Amino acid sequence: MNTINPSVKALGLLMPTFFLAAMQKPFLNLTVFVLSLILLAVSRINYKIFIAAMIPVILTALGTFYTGYRFQAGNGMPVSELSFHLADSGVWNGLILASRVLAFAGLGLLLALTTDRVRLVQSLNQQLKLPPVFAYGLLAAWGILPVMMREYRQTRAAFRARGLRVLPVSPALLKPMLVKAVRWAEALSVAMESKGFDGNAPRTVYRPVPVRIRDFIFLFAVALGCAGILFLP
Amino acid sequence: MKNDQWKLRDILMMSILGVLFAAVYLAVFSGGMVLSALLTPTGLSTFSFELIYGVWFMASAVAAYIIRKPGVALITEVLAAGVELLMGNAGGLVVILTGFIQGLGCELGFAAFRYKKFNLLSMTLGGILAASFIFVYELYYLQNYLLAPGLLFAKLMVRFLSAALFTGLISKLACDGLARTGVLKNYGIDLSRQEVLIEREEE
Repeated sequence: MNTINPSVKALGLLMPTFFLAAMQKPFLNLTVFVLSLILLAVSRINYKIFIAAMIPVILTALGTFYTGYRFQAGNGMPVSELSFHLADSGVWNGLILASRVLAFAGLGLLLALTTDRVRLVQSLNQQLKLPPVFAYGLLAAWGILPVMMREYRQTRAAFRARGLRVLPVSPALLKPMLVKAVRWAEALSVAMESKGFDGNAPRTVYRPVPVRIRDFIFLFAVALGCAGILFLP
Repeated sequence: MKNDQWKLRDILMMSILGVLFAAVYLAVFSGGMVLSALLTPTGLSTFSFELIYGVWFMASAVAAYIIRKPGVALITEVLAAGVELLMGNAGGLVVILTGFIQGLGCELGFAAFRYKKFNLLSMTLGGILAASFIFVYELYYLQNYLLAPGLLFAKLMVRFLSAALFTGLISKLACDGLARTGVLKNYGIDLSRQEVLIEREEE
């Protein structure tokens, strides 16, 4: 999965997401989830990040299951013959909702964990014609993130040092952060423009992101899988 | 509107706000996660995220408030979604779509006043519209229509409250504080000065 063109991969994984969104087949959802896990296992991924990402996913799936189990839509509930195999339709309802969370998360993680972030944005710029101002603006802002997180913690610590208790979203805390955000935006734009960045000028790319035959094979395989889902009983 | 052209600075401003509120959201999210885990057996865990849902729209409202051009709220939310994607959000490209839907809601809040009012009312309206838009989308995408109508209604109400609180009140207060510091003198928030700058640039 790591070598597939990022844009192609993102679009290819988007396709089954919408197919699954239109259906109510928990076992199909779970199959997609397991399939995603298998694909992740054969790809080069960082397992630490994988586990960190799975914790909220599993918690959300559990929460969703219980929500669906306890609060199902009364008579509008479509009961299929299959659901009689299960204890009651509440469990089925919860399963539909929870398996969906898992399937979407599996597909999403497949993209997130096997794709280099910078390459993804470069590919969006090169293959999907995302305007360069947005592509490079996004990358520049992304570069700020670690500094941003540090500043955020620092500002909170500064408030604590003064004996003030602030909530993570209180306006008093946000204000200094916004001031910094404005300053960073100005500094970055001056820096980029002074080095000759022009969003409208034609540009060459140092590291083109290629589209290869295997990308088409991937798209074809996914499309085939989706078509197969349609003919499933 | 004559100054509709996006400047690099505006786009950087929007992206950075996306990053900032992603950081804020992360800080709140861990708290939400704990609450969610505690509420899981009652089936009410979904509310823990409804409570902080409004934080999602803050970037949009703040950017629109600062830059004051049509489309800012929409593009900011999409860029913020792009940041989410970069952070490794498990949503994949779908995140961009939800960003677009939320941004559209927020944008309409300002468009309803023909981009003349950037105040508590338009920000709150934007937040509430964004909340309703994404709610309708989730009805189908997450098949929430399988849930009891009473629960859905309660979800929506909590989300509205969250939007009004975060996107409306807190964003407005933070922005007013920001404007008073004077760092925004180049932005749309100070319109009269902006006109002068445009003329100078056109020469």
